[in-house]
Amino acid sequence: MSIYILPIIIVLLLIIARLKKVNAYYSFCNGVKGTIPLLVDMFPYLVAIFVMVEIMNVSGITSFVANILSPFFEIIGIPKELCSFVFLKPFSGSGSLALLNEIFVNYGVDSYISRCACVVMASSDTVFYISTIYFSKTSVTKTLFTIPIALFASFVGAIFSCLICKVI
Amino acid sequence: MLFVCPDSIMPTMVSAGEKSIKLCVNLIGVYTIWMGLLQLLDDCGITQKLSSLLSPVIDKLFGKLDDTTKKLISINLSANMLGVGGASTPSGIKAMSRLDNKSGRPNKAMIMLIVLNATSIQLLPTTVIGMRITAGSSNPADIVLPSLLATIVTSVLGILLVNLFCKIKKVT
Repeated sequence: MSIYILPIIIVLLLIIARLKKVNAYYSFCNGVKGTIPLLVDMFPYLVAIFVMVEIMNVSGITSFVANILSPFFEIIGIPKELCSFVFLKPFSGSGSLALLNEIFVNYGVDSYISRCACVVMASSDTVFYISTIYFSKTSVTKTLFTIPIALFASFVGAIFSCLICKVI
Repeated sequence: MLFVCPDSIMPTMVSAGEKSIKLCVNLIGVYTIWMGLLQLLDDCGITQKLSSLLSPVIDKLFGKLDDTTKKLISINLSANMLGVGGASTPSGIKAMSRLDNKSGRPNKAMIMLIVLNATSIQLLPTTVIGMRITAGSSNPADIVLPSLLATIVTSVLGILLVNLFCKIKKVT
């Protein structure tokens, strides 16, 4: 059902534009104009965060830290199978999606572990990516407590996710 | 890795660079369409309506803002809720640069916007449901309710913490 929502919205939008005598063609082109400058501004920060994540993964730092943290994670209710997933999540969106698929394959898609991982995935976004991209067009050099708060909130979200999957 | 296998550092970094340019190319496709449609929405006066609809919430969370910024934030937040990343990111970035006061430090509204986006208030986790369908789940949508509760928890906690820390550190 939901796959029809977008096409319907687009058609509706064109009809509204017609009724309001807005030139849809020029309007659309005007909006598109801003895309390349936006991405050009984003690009250097995107590269920086990708290089960092890639080096962390290839060098094994990610799995090393995840291993160290796993006993601590288990105490607060995050299963040890999800340790590296929860740890990778704030850094890499595509990486955690790949890991999620791996969890599906290893533990079965309807298992408690997989369901937990899904809820963790949906409960928060890629914190570092979002912060980097959103600050890319601003003068900000000191991010103050922005990232710690976002990280803490999504971490508590992960604990809560594992808890709620036991109940529901 | 620097010490264990020093010869692999350069290829790793280069491949990361390649990945980021690939992502950028993908994003150009997604963002052009959304930015075009968003401009159309704006010219039709629909974002104005959305903005006045969300106005009480935005005023409460972000304080006093000018009209354009308010519009951008309302697009950003509603697109975020619907899980349309292609529409939320460009409007979010534009809103951020409008909120910026060129002091080199973020203000409360900027921190709030990032934390809200990072903790993502997603109503329907479409990507995850799609993956569960592909993986052959017997009930792909059974994670919707727990996800909704979890996303509410992270967002509310985020909002509370931003308010608390801004008060302590005297960020306005």
